[in-house]
Amino acid sequence: MVTAGLIHYILNLLHVTVHIRDVCVFLAPVFSGLTAISTFLLTRELWNQGAGLLAACFIAIVPGYISRSVAGSFDNEGIAIFALQFTYYLWVSASPPPLPGYSLPIFLSCIILLLVNFFPFILFLVSAWGGYVFIINLIPLHVFALLLMQRYSRRVYIGVFALLQAYAFLQYLKDRLTRQEFQTLFFLGISLAACIVFLTVIYLTYTGLSTSPSLHRCRSTSRPRGCPSSLISTSWSAPSQQAFGFASRTSMMNACLAGKVRKHVSEQEKAEEGLGPNIKSIVTMLMLMLLMMFAVHCTWVTSNAYSSPSVVLASYNHDGTRNILDDFREAYYWLRQNTDEHARVMSWWDYGYQIAGMANRTTLVDNNTWNNSHIALVGKAMSSNESAAYEIMRSLDVDYVLIIFGGVIGYSGDDINKFLWMVRIAEGEHPKDIRESDYFTPQGEFRVDKAGSPTLLNCLMYKMSYYRFGEMQLDFRTPPGFDRTRNAEIGNKDIKFKHLEEAFTSEHWLVRIYKVKKLENREALDHKLRSVVSRQKYTSKKVSVFPLRRDGFSCSLSFMMLSTTYSKTPQKIKTALNSRERKETSNNQ
Amino acid sequence: MTRRSAFVAVCLLFVAALSSEVSADGLVNEDVKRTVDLSTHLAKITAEIVLSNHGQSSVQSFILAVDADLAPHMAYIGASVKGDEEEHGTLELQQTSIQGQRGEFYKVLLPSTLAAGAQLKVKTEMMFSHVLKPFPTQITQAERQLVVFQGNHYLYSPYPTRSQTTRVRLASKTVESYTKLGNPSKTDEIIEYGPFRDVAPFSEDALKIHYENNTPFLTITSITRTIEVSHWGNIAVEETIDLRHTGAILKGPFSRYDYQRQSDSGISSVKSFKTILPASAQDVYYRDEIGNISTSHLQVLDDSVEVEVRPRFPLFGGWKTHYIIGYNLPSYEYLYTLGEQYALKMRLVDHVYDDQVIDYMTVKIILPEGAKNIHVDTPYKIDRMPNQLHYTYLDTFGRPVLVATKNNLVEQHIQDFVVHYTFNKILMLQEPLLVVGAFYILFFTTRGIAIWPAEVRMKVASITEQVLTLVNRRLGLYRHMDEVVNRYKQSRDTGALNSGRKTLEADHRTLTSEISSLQARLKTEGSDLAEKVGEIQKLDGQVKELVCRSCSEAERLVGGKVKKETYIESEKSLTSRRQELISRIDSLLDAL
Repeated sequence: MVTAGLIHYILNLLHVTVHIRDVCVFLAPVFSGLTAISTFLLTRELWNQGAGLLAACFIAIVPGYISRSVAGSFDNEGIAIFALQFTYYLWVSASPPPLPGYSLPIFLSCIILLLVNFFPFILFLVSAWGGYVFIINLIPLHVFALLLMQRYSRRVYIGVFALLQAYAFLQYLKDRLTRQEFQTLFFLGISLAACIVFLTVIYLTYTGLSTSPSLHRCRSTSRPRGCPSSLISTSWSAPSQQAFGFASRTSMMNACLAGKVRKHVSEQEKAEEGLGPNIKSIVTMLMLMLLMMFAVHCTWVTSNAYSSPSVVLASYNHDGTRNILDDFREAYYWLRQNTDEHARVMSWWDYGYQIAGMANRTTLVDNNTWNNSHIALVGKAMSSNESAAYEIMRSLDVDYVLIIFGGVIGYSGDDINKFLWMVRIAEGEHPKDIRESDYFTPQGEFRVDKAGSPTLLNCLMYKMSYYRFGEMQLDFRTPPGFDRTRNAEIGNKDIKFKHLEEAFTSEHWLVRIYKVKKLENREALDHKLRSVVSRQKYTSKKVSVFPLRRDGFSCSLSFMMLSTTYSKTPQKIKTALNSRERKETSNNQ
Repeated sequence: MTRRSAFVAVCLLFVAALSSEVSADGLVNEDVKRTVDLSTHLAKITAEIVLSNHGQSSVQSFILAVDADLAPHMAYIGASVKGDEEEHGTLELQQTSIQGQRGEFYKVLLPSTLAAGAQLKVKTEMMFSHVLKPFPTQITQAERQLVVFQGNHYLYSPYPTRSQTTRVRLASKTVESYTKLGNPSKTDEIIEYGPFRDVAPFSEDALKIHYENNTPFLTITSITRTIEVSHWGNIAVEETIDLRHTGAILKGPFSRYDYQRQSDSGISSVKSFKTILPASAQDVYYRDEIGNISTSHLQVLDDSVEVEVRPRFPLFGGWKTHYIIGYNLPSYEYLYTLGEQYALKMRLVDHVYDDQVIDYMTVKIILPEGAKNIHVDTPYKIDRMPNQLHYTYLDTFGRPVLVATKNNLVEQHIQDFVVHYTFNKILMLQEPLLVVGAFYILFFTTRGIAIWPAEVRMKVASITEQVLTLVNRRLGLYRHMDEVVNRYKQSRDTGALNSGRKTLEADHRTLTSEISSLQARLKTEGSDLAEKVGEIQKLDGQVKELVCRSCSEAERLVGGKVKKETYIESEKSLTSRRQELISRIDSLLDAL
């Protein structure tokens, strides 16, 4: 987020007026490009240029990484993977060469490399991604392995020790200073360090002291590297394999290894001169086929699983034309435009972020709600009957309820299909009020048709989903009220609401929004009721019973009174009533 | 109501009687044909007036009056002369006032003087927005929308009228009620009042019609039209529109089922409308805050581009929406140039939907960076705001932005404005040069950084290469010396040995000095390899010593000073030490 903000700020400073949204959208793709480059660099450090290219190709098509780097996936992982690869690269290029015998320039270059490149990058990584523990733990592991293999050197010492010293110093400062002061000091320090390093480099360059050639030497490819690739890969693969078990994100790191291993295999083949040309070509063919299949697989997975939007649904007709079902945005935009700015929307937590982002309305629970009892309360409201739900909704100050209903178009990810989870979560917190077994038939089935349990057929979620759906006949082969998602004719077709009111239903009924009515006729008028009725002598007594309240009773009284004075059609009476009210208000004003 | 209006009329008549029968100008409305068009959500009142001059002198102008109740809602007023040859000349209007009279007055300047006793046919047109009030103000989805219009039976005029008729056109046949002055006739959607004879000046008599009107009551509550001119051939237009249904507000639920199944459900709601864009419009986009609106259609016709704008949801009474529509136009159609002079001629406001009403409009015209001497001609009065600066890609000192606002606009306001400015064509090169310059700097800085170590590296590499060959040659010398020693051991020819030793010494000296000079060069290049070369030199010195010692040992053996066993023993240790040194040299060479 800070990165995106910074990029946006710098671009706008240069009058490249990119919208912050565009920056966010394209951040991950741009950084994935940088990831490919750093993967190449890392693998080149470990093996050679060809392996680097292959590794870059692998990381370019790994679906796990593509899913995190598609345009619009604005997540910390988009940057973190790049930071991870680049940190490794810097660590590897700063790692000790094979022979001792250091001169001052090497010493300096190490410090520069580690402090300037590596340390801020670790910070960058830490701030960007929770997965930094991999690096933080892997580097000591690597150092330990280096020690075991008796490859200890001053560079390792400098690298780790300087880092630790700096970190400890920062911690010390952090304890002593306030957050604000610390931040100022930190940025000041960083910029100062950058300045010093910059000036040092300039000075060294100018005076002919050898800094850059040695810098270069550290990264040169034609010589055997200080840290053997086998060591890195072994110290690396074990933890990454572990990580693979619970998070696929580290599979990206394996792409690098894969590139190396493939290259290794092919080189081994080259070395074995004894094999005939036939076997060689067959193996090459097989390898190529595998790679090709891998590419096809990656493309498929990416296009189907990772980059198809879930907000806009598309269906294809027989002639290949595309139908776009834009119901989600339709309903969210309606909420955004035509409800009060401070309206509170109750929905299942899945839609929390969407409502907040697209409808710009307050939600009760969203995708990041950790308070289980809160979610359970919403679940309880959804799974109770209307009057009980109304109590909960009143206490939660709910103005609108939003649900997803897929019965018309056969969308399976709707709220009725998720409903059992709401029941279960509600039961977890309110076992006395909600019991999961009540929502099943005696045979233990979850059914929405006539055989379904009466608790289910009268709960709020059911009623909201199927309100007026019983009248709807989708095609001639099925009866009215036939739910396409669950392939059943609904069991409760006579749904009436007492406390709710249909506020909006999207074109394909995918999103239904209900308005929670306020308590009826209990609130005092904001102006004094004019004694219009009292002028009429024969009703004055009756009406004056409720002089300050305009509730149902007095209204009906005045209505009766009006109907005696105007013997016209009800429409007319209503108009007359309206005009009377209008006059009242205008008089009062 | 009738009683009250009658009272007003009497009062007015009384006032009129007090004033002179013929106004000071001596003008009289001989025959007036008024049409009040209420078929949309606007009220269009047109009148064809036969004006005759009954005064003594000729007149240059006449006064057009607007009813006081309607005047605040007036969006447009215009007058034209209706000649015999069907030539419509639009007349110039100036706002004025008449003391002691309500309403707004406009002085219409005639194209030619109207002589005493002469007649003239004038056509006037007035547009009023938000004068049709929904009544009831709230309706359910199933109900139809009823509106009330309140106006004047007569032509409001400072002149006496001899004869006039008023024809009211409604949106539907269904009429709840209408005032019945002079027993009007009603056929279908038309109510005809009059003819009224000899109406006094400033006569008012309330006309009230309550009828069904389901036409879209759409109002653009605010529109921001941004026109960005680029001298590279493009004009980008973007309109940000806030739209509201200002008819009767929807009461109670919105039922999608009813809306889909019953054709007359929500009859007054707005599903979609057409926006007509210029024929050359390209790259049309229609979106809002949450992205592209997928429910629209674009149709390219010969003389225009039609966008079927369908908001995400149907607009019911009181509902609103917000969207952005934009497109590109080629500048050759709208931008005129003569040397450094430029003129941009475009529509100040464009079509959004038929019978549009715009409550508040902001126009922003972004001219190219460096435009000077800006002068704007507008077809009607608009409020200019202070100029702003706009920064976009590659701008350094900002583009001038002209900002203007206006309230209450209708279709009649779709007219052209002209912006004149001067622009130095050289400035067009500024931005490309900026890019070129930036890339130039970038290229050379990166190249400079990249080249510098590469050159050094190449130099160092060539030097180390030389060092390598020289060291190898030097090692070859030792092998040669070994051979010489072996031969000496067999032939016992001291002369050969001595000469061999001499050549070795000489060759070794030259090679060593050459390597030393190379080492010095390495040092000046700033390479740490110089130290390694120094180390090699040191090791080589030891090797040389060993070689010399083995040589002298051989001499001593040949001279019989040592026993063979001892010699072999020492020779062995010498060779092993030499081997060790040479392997160290080799490893150093490898590391070079």
